[in-house]
Amino acid sequence: MNEFVIALGWAGMYGVMALGAIGSIFGCAVAGQAAIGAMVDTETGHGRYIGISVMPSSQVVYGIVVMFTLQREITAETAPALFGIGMMAGLALMFSAIKQGQACASAIHASKVKPEIFGLSLAPAAIVEGFAVFAFVFALVVAGSIPG
Amino acid sequence: MRDSHRYVMLLSSLPYHGTLFSAKVTPLSRIRLQQRLSLLEPEDLQEVDAMAGLLDWYRHPVQKSDAEIVKLAKQVIPQLRSPFACELLSWRLEMRTLIAALRRRRDGEEITVAEDEWGYGRWLTHINKYWDEPYFRLEGVYPWLPEAVMFMEQGDPVALERLMLEKVWKYLQRMEDGHVFDYERVLIYLFRWDLVGRWTVANGATAEARYADLVGEGLLQIDQAMHSALSG
Repeated sequence: MNEFVIALGWAGMYGVMALGAIGSIFGCAVAGQAAIGAMVDTETGHGRYIGISVMPSSQVVYGIVVMFTLQREITAETAPALFGIGMMAGLALMFSAIKQGQACASAIHASKVKPEIFGLSLAPAAIVEGFAVFAFVFALVVAGSIPG
Repeated sequence: MRDSHRYVMLLSSLPYHGTLFSAKVTPLSRIRLQQRLSLLEPEDLQEVDAMAGLLDWYRHPVQKSDAEIVKLAKQVIPQLRSPFACELLSWRLEMRTLIAALRRRRDGEEITVAEDEWGYGRWLTHINKYWDEPYFRLEGVYPWLPEAVMFMEQGDPVALERLMLEKVWKYLQRMEDGHVFDYERVLIYLFRWDLVGRWTVANGATAEARYADLVGEGLLQIDQAMHSALSG
């Protein structure tokens, strides 16, 4: 039983980064495909499209920071907290990255047709980023109260 | 479950078609469209080809009968994997069936109950039953029918074509809800591309200019023939 709890602790500590990475992979891939498609159809603004398409990469960075914050000796006392914080923050980062990628793909598609709405079209992706930041910051805050 | 962002690259690479009646040309040529469609999965591409083979008038020789086209529809539609594609294609063919019925009645043709190969869809028996009613008692389902009949009676095919294209365009607008980068959205784009293509060809001003050219050309030939006959 004790070994299982410790395994959960490791899963929580590494999982936050892994889930963030999975989300960033999906998010960047979707937004990147939209950027490539838009580049096929347009002659200018390619840099902007690529710039938007890497927005979902921030979640993996947040995941790495949370992972280092959680890093400590894993015992039966600390493992449940590491698992809870790591997995929940990881899931939030993963979904936010996937959905942000979709929002970025839509923004690229829309700003290709109407370049004047480029800034506004990024608002939904920025709001999703805000939620990822919430998950990140409060994971750091809560991690401070883990014993050990 | 199908990936809702499966065709994000393809759809981003397709130029915006604008509004239907403002277009002067299709947003991209047929050849370029075919090139872009190579990004479709093979089974989806096959389905798109089958649908185009049924709907594109230019693929049907003039001598091809309605019965042959209906037979083809009955072969193609049950084989479509996407329920969305089935619904879209059936709706479009039902609309064409209604227009065909109106034209047949205007031309004094009769439809026998046994003959079910003149059209496609759920209204064949209904149309047969209410053949003598002005709008086949379908004006509740298709509120545009009275207007279509009026244009037909006035002998205004361009206005009728415009009305039909507008109705299909609006139907596609309703159908696109919830589809952003998926296969269904690709189908909607292709239907719209076809509508723009048809309108830019059927556009009144273009048609008039073409008609004037043809008449002028014909008159010139007659003039030359008469001139050579008189001088000879």
